[in-house]
Amino acid sequence: MSEVEKLSQDYHDYLDEDGMIHADPRLMLGEANKPDEITKGDIMKVWFRWWWCNEVPHTFDRMIAPSLCFGLMPVLKKLYKNPVFLGEAYQRHLQFFNTQAVWGGGIISGITVSLEEERAKALNAGEPALDASMIQNTKIGLMGPLAGVGDSIDSGTVQYICISLFLGLCQEGNPLGAVMPFVCFATATFIYGYLFTRMGYTMGRRAALEVMKGGRIKSIIDALGVLGLFMMGCMAASYVKLSTPIEADLSGRPFVLQETLDGILPGLLPLIAVMALFFFFQKKGMKVTQAMLGFTVILIVLAVVGIL
Amino acid sequence: MTIVQALLIALFVAAIESRALGYATLTMRFSPLMAGFWVGLILGDMHQAMVVTATIQLIYMGVVAPGGAMPSEPAVASAIAVSVAILGDLDPEAAVAIAVPVGLMGSYLYQLRFFLNTIAVNKMDQCAVKADSRGLVFWIAVMPTIFAFALFVPTITIALYLGAPVISDVMNAISNGPVLHALDVVSGGLAALGIAITMHVIGSRKLLVFFFLAYFLVVLTTRAGLSITMITWAIFGVIIAFCYNMFTTKAEA
Repeated sequence: MSEVEKLSQDYHDYLDEDGMIHADPRLMLGEANKPDEITKGDIMKVWFRWWWCNEVPHTFDRMIAPSLCFGLMPVLKKLYKNPVFLGEAYQRHLQFFNTQAVWGGGIISGITVSLEEERAKALNAGEPALDASMIQNTKIGLMGPLAGVGDSIDSGTVQYICISLFLGLCQEGNPLGAVMPFVCFATATFIYGYLFTRMGYTMGRRAALEVMKGGRIKSIIDALGVLGLFMMGCMAASYVKLSTPIEADLSGRPFVLQETLDGILPGLLPLIAVMALFFFFQKKGMKVTQAMLGFTVILIVLAVVGIL
Repeated sequence: MTIVQALLIALFVAAIESRALGYATLTMRFSPLMAGFWVGLILGDMHQAMVVTATIQLIYMGVVAPGGAMPSEPAVASAIAVSVAILGDLDPEAAVAIAVPVGLMGSYLYQLRFFLNTIAVNKMDQCAVKADSRGLVFWIAVMPTIFAFALFVPTITIALYLGAPVISDVMNAISNGPVLHALDVVSGGLAALGIAITMHVIGSRKLLVFFFLAYFLVVLTTRAGLSITMITWAIFGVIIAFCYNMFTTKAEA
């Protein structure tokens, strides 16, 4: 019996303290684990599934990550025939992810498919493979900026062009005035979203090859981590909204606590919330449900007693 | 309006709010057009429905200023407003005003959906680790849709059948208490959770300074009244990541 055959096929043996799988790369060796070729049809499947499921499983803690996972599923099944590796890939794409559906989702899902493909092929061939954290950091670095582009173009512009074109019909009482904007917007975004997915796939392949050739993976992972953390800082500042309504009247002089806090350090409360959660995860591992329940209870209590 | 008509309209609104019709629901949710079309179809007065819907669309586009609060969740609000306008022969502005509390309720139901989906996320994690693809499909696509229908179908049916004022009374009763305030605080704060998780996943405490850099840059520029887009920040992010890469690789060599 060779050493590879002695490896455990049970995912329990590869779990870390966060409950995440870190499978032994040797599990991917062998003819049985050879990844299938990714076809144009697969790319269409990924795009369609992501498009269809886009905001269905929306939550506060993962945002629309499950939709991306749902989109990638057919490809992941073709690439990772080994169930431990498939489980690892599913887990990877259930982590927090949020972007705009067409510009962000199209490009990022295309790139992700190509990176996963390179990773699976290299693992199967027993060569040094793209690190899983690199795939994660690529997604995290791209999701914010592309969402910015997509929201302003699709929701802000394309949608209103479609509506304006047919509003006259609507005012005359013609139902086409309501149906046509919907049909036009849905068709247009579906088509260019698909093209973005294709484009992301081609770009990702080229980038992945470039990276592997250069052998500078470690520094690129770090650079992507820098970009990812930088974007998280931007998102924390824009999306976390916490302030205190505490006010008092100090012998005729109004005292507004939030103004005092802003005078000391603007944006203090949201930062405390993010950092407290971050250190909770660093200390206790990724106990997401526990953190969410606890945090929600704290917020409700503080809101009810009037501190927030 | 018959109970069947109310139910049919509610089912359509629930389908939009569950987002189970894909990204196509974007125009359906944020514009009153398709909800108005559906109401016209169900109530059998397409002409009137379209005329009213067009006016509501103009209100939403800011062309016609209604002078009051804009109802959130346009699809929910316009399903009510168009029905009320057709059946009660009201002018569209008055109908929209009636729909405000129902729209507000719709936006809270939409957030409630996020909490219910968390139950599904737990199940997804359990399926993912076992590489159980069937289970994953069920918990990602099927259950959240069912949750959304369970939230929206009864409430919208009641609002349509018993009349929007019923919802208005309920919302007034709640909004004087702490419930809605607590909901606002929770939804404003919970965004921190996903961000903290991502930071933990990236996992490098050494690089945390870049988080602080971006955080305070954005807070300060926002307070200074500058509107700098995410794309601009991303360009800075890329430049900084590039510099970091350049300096660190040089040091190693």
